[in-house]
Amino acid sequence: MDPIAVLRAAFPEAVLDATVYRGTPIVTIKADSLLAIGRFLRDHPELRYNLLSDLTVVDALKLPGDHFGARFLGIYQLRSIPRNGDLLQLKVPLPGGDDPVAPSVVGIWPTANWHEREAYDLFGVRYEGHPDLRRILMPDDWPTHPLRKDQPLGGERVPFTPTWEDEEFAFLGKQIMKPEQRPEPVPKRMDSRHMIINMGPQHPATHGVLRLIVELDGERVVGVQPDIGYLHSGFEKQGENIRYKDFVYYTDRMDYVSAMQNNLAYCLAVEKLLGIEAPPRAQAIRVIVCELQRIASHLVWLATHVLDLGGTGLALLMYAFREREAILDLFEMVCGARLTTSYLRIGGVNWDLPPAFAPRLRELLDILPARFDEYERMLTDNPIFRRRLEGIGILPPETAIAMGVTGPMLRGSGVKYDLRKAQPYCNYDQYDFEIPIATSCDSYGRYMVRLNEMRQSVRIVRQALDNLPPGDFLLDDPKIAPPPRRLLDQSMEAVIHHFKLFTEGLRPPPGEAYHGIEASKGEMGIYLVSDGSAIPYRCRVRTPSFANLQSIELMSKGHLLSDLVAVIGTIDIVLGDVDR
Amino acid sequence: MSLVLIAAVKSLVLILLLLTGFAYLTYYERKLLARFHVRLGPNRAGPFGLLQPVADAVKAIFKEELVPDHVDKVVYLMAPALSLIPALVVFAVIPLAPDLTVFGYTISFTITDINVGLLYILAITSVATYGVMLAGWSSNNNYALLGALRTASQMISYELPLSLILVAVLLTTNIGREVGTLSLVEIVQQDRPWWLWLWLWLAFPIVFICMLAESNRSPFDLPETENELIAGFQIEYGGIKFALFFMAEYISMITGSALMASLFFGGWRGPLATPGTWYGPLVGFGWLFLKIVALLFVYIWVRASIPRIRYDQLLQFCWKFLTPLAILYLIATAVIVVLV
Repeated sequence: MDPIAVLRAAFPEAVLDATVYRGTPIVTIKADSLLAIGRFLRDHPELRYNLLSDLTVVDALKLPGDHFGARFLGIYQLRSIPRNGDLLQLKVPLPGGDDPVAPSVVGIWPTANWHEREAYDLFGVRYEGHPDLRRILMPDDWPTHPLRKDQPLGGERVPFTPTWEDEEFAFLGKQIMKPEQRPEPVPKRMDSRHMIINMGPQHPATHGVLRLIVELDGERVVGVQPDIGYLHSGFEKQGENIRYKDFVYYTDRMDYVSAMQNNLAYCLAVEKLLGIEAPPRAQAIRVIVCELQRIASHLVWLATHVLDLGGTGLALLMYAFREREAILDLFEMVCGARLTTSYLRIGGVNWDLPPAFAPRLRELLDILPARFDEYERMLTDNPIFRRRLEGIGILPPETAIAMGVTGPMLRGSGVKYDLRKAQPYCNYDQYDFEIPIATSCDSYGRYMVRLNEMRQSVRIVRQALDNLPPGDFLLDDPKIAPPPRRLLDQSMEAVIHHFKLFTEGLRPPPGEAYHGIEASKGEMGIYLVSDGSAIPYRCRVRTPSFANLQSIELMSKGHLLSDLVAVIGTIDIVLGDVDR
Repeated sequence: MSLVLIAAVKSLVLILLLLTGFAYLTYYERKLLARFHVRLGPNRAGPFGLLQPVADAVKAIFKEELVPDHVDKVVYLMAPALSLIPALVVFAVIPLAPDLTVFGYTISFTITDINVGLLYILAITSVATYGVMLAGWSSNNNYALLGALRTASQMISYELPLSLILVAVLLTTNIGREVGTLSLVEIVQQDRPWWLWLWLWLAFPIVFICMLAESNRSPFDLPETENELIAGFQIEYGGIKFALFFMAEYISMITGSALMASLFFGGWRGPLATPGTWYGPLVGFGWLFLKIVALLFVYIWVRASIPRIRYDQLLQFCWKFLTPLAILYLIATAVIVVLV
C-alpha cells in the first residue's frame, strides 16, 4: 500500500509535495488540512498510522529553498504498528511567519501533548486547541525560544555569571529566589482541599531530577503533574552547531545507562542521510555491544525498581550491579570507557574487538541466565512483590499506542512490536530471537517482559559472537571514516584524507532522514536535516523516556502513593533521556 | 533509700548495656546486611570496623542542632524522647538472669519484679506510638504527617493480635497451678510440659510479625518508607534527635527479642544456668544474650529478603488474617487450659 498514492487520491488539494527520500515517504501537506489528513491516516483501514513517533519543528530560516513560503515546518513521524512500524513523514509548512500557528493533533494522537509543548517551548509554535500549552523544558519565565535559528548558541544572558564584580551574583549569594517568583503553591487544575505534595526534584524514588506535583486524597492519588526540564542541556542546539562526527560523544550523555544505543541511533541516522551502510563486521559488533547495553540498562532498571519497592531491594540492587559491572568491564575493554562509551562511529565502530574480549564475554554469557533465574526465584513468585505490581499502572494496548509509549512498556501491554523485528537494522533479521510480551498490561507484565528481554539479548549476543564476520570494522571510505592508523605512516593520500576529514568533516547531500532504533527503553530516534554543509541543519532527538513518562498520570490515578513509586519504576525513565 | 539506690544503679547499668547493645546492633545489622548483599560492610574504623558505631555516635552528637522554623517546638523536641523512653523502660521487668545470693544478700537481675509485668509492657509499648505520631504531627510537613498517620493505624492494628497471643500465653501459666501469673520473672521460672512448648511455638510467628510491625521494621517500615515518604516522621529531624529515633527503633528490637525469648524460649534458662550457683547468673545471661542475638538475626534476615508491603495490604493482612488467627489461637488455648 503506497501511502503517497492514497493521500494524493484522497486529498488532491492538500498534498503540496510528495517524495521518497532514503526509503522514507515524505509528504508535504497544508496546515489547515493537517487534522483531516491525520485522522484519515490513523483510521484508514490499510494504512493505520496509529503511532506518532515524533513531532518536531524545523526553523527553515537559513535552509535553502522556499518551503512554500513558511519559515517553520512542522515535522510528524508516523508509524503504523499493524504494518510493521512503517514510517511516514508529514511535513507541514506553518502559517504565521515568525509567529507560527499550527493545529494541535492532541485529539488524534494524545502523545503529541508533550511534543507540542516542547515545540512551543523551543520554537514558539502556538498549537491551537492544545489543552495545556505551557513551556516544558525551559524555565517558565525564559525570554526566548532557543532552538530558533536566529538564537545564537551561547551569548544569552544567564543569571549565574560567576564574577565577584557581578551584582547579580552578590544577590544570588544572599537569596535564592525572589518571593514573587515563587511558583503558586497549588497548581491550577488541582483541588486545594486535597493534600498537595511535591515529590522531587530531590526524592529517592524519582530516579533523578524529576519533579511530580501529586494531589492526594488521603493516600489515594488524584492527580499527578510531572515537571521536567531540570536536566535540559540543549543537546539539539548543540548538535546543530557542531559537525556530524562530533555529536556522537554528546549522545552518550542522554540516556546515560544505554550510551551504546544512543550512539547507534545517531550513527544510523547519519548513515541513512549519507546513504551508506557499515560493513558486516561492524554491524555484528554493534549488535553485540548494544544488546549488552540492553542487559545493563535492564539490570539498572530491575535494581532500582525493586529498590523502590523496599526491603529486599538493596540485596537485588547489589546482585544486579554485580552483573552490570561485568558488562561495563567488557565495555572498558573495547573502548576504555564504562558509562559514556562513544564507541560507535559513523560507518562502523572505533576499534575492533580486542582478542581477550570474546572469551570474557563467553564466560559472562554462561553465567547470566543462571543469574536471571536467581532474580526470578527472589521475585517472580514472591507474594508481596506480586501484590505490589499486579494490577498497578494498567495501560491498555490502545491507550499505550495513543500515548506514544514504546519499548518494553508497549510490549508489556501486549503489543508485539519491536523495531528490531519490524524495521530491522544492523542485520537484526539474521538473528533468531523472540519478542517477549505480556498481556496483563500492568507493572508485573512489564517486569516479566524486561526479564525475558534480557534472556533474549543473551541469545542474540551469543549468535552474533559465534558468527562474527571477518573484515573491516569501519567503512573503507576515506570521505566518511578516517583511514586506519597504520596507513598514516605509509600513504600521503591517507594523511590528506585524515586531515580533510578532521578539519572539514563529512558533508551529506541536502536532505533529511529519521531513523529510530529499539533502545532499551523504547524507540530512540534521530531526525537530521542536512543543508549540504558539514554541520547538521537540524538535529532532533526523539527519546523513549520523554514519550513514556507522559502516561504517568494515566497509570497512577486512583492508586495509592506507594503505587506511584512502583509506576515511576516501571516506566524506567532516565532523566537525561527525558530532558536532553 | 538503699532500695532506690540499688534500683538506680541497676537502671544505669541496664541503660548503658542497652545503649552499647544498640550501637553494636547497628554494626551487627550492617555487617549482616552487607553479607546478604555481597558487600563487605563497615571495615574501615578500627579492626573489622568495630569502631564504626563509635564514629557514628560522635558524628550524630556533634552535628549542628537544627530546629526548623515551621515546627511546633515543644512537641517536636519531646517526640524523640517519647519514643526512646518506652523502649528503654520496657526492659525493667524482663529477667536477665537467675538470682544471685552473695553473703546472704539476694541480688535479682531484674530491675523490678512487678506482678503485672506483661500488662506493663503492653501499656508502655503503646506509649511509644505517641512519640512517632507527635513527631510526624509537630514537624508540620506533609510527608511526616502521612508517616504519622500510617504509624497510628499500623501500631494500633498490630497491638491487637499481639495482645491476643500474649493473653493466650498468660492463660497457659495457669496450667498445673492454683493461679496464673503476669510477672515475667515467674513466667520464665515456670516449668512447662513439652507439648506446651510446642503449642506456644505455634503462635511464635504471629508474635514475631506483630513485633516487626510494632518496631517499624522492614517489611513493615511503612511510617518511614525511604522510597515514598523519604523518611516519614523523621524527615525534619537531624543529628542527635534523629539518632534518638534510630535508637528507639533498635532498642525496641532488642526489647522485643528479649520479650519473645522470655515468653517462648525460656529467657535465661538453659543448660548450666542453675539458680543458686555462683555461675548461674553468668551462664543465664549468656543464654538470654544468645537467644536475643539469634532473634535479631531473624529481624535482619527478614529485612534483607522481603519487599515492603503496601500500606493498605498491611492493614488488610492484620485485620483479615492475623487477628482472626490470633482469636482462634486464643480460643483453642482456652479450651486446652480447661481440659488439662
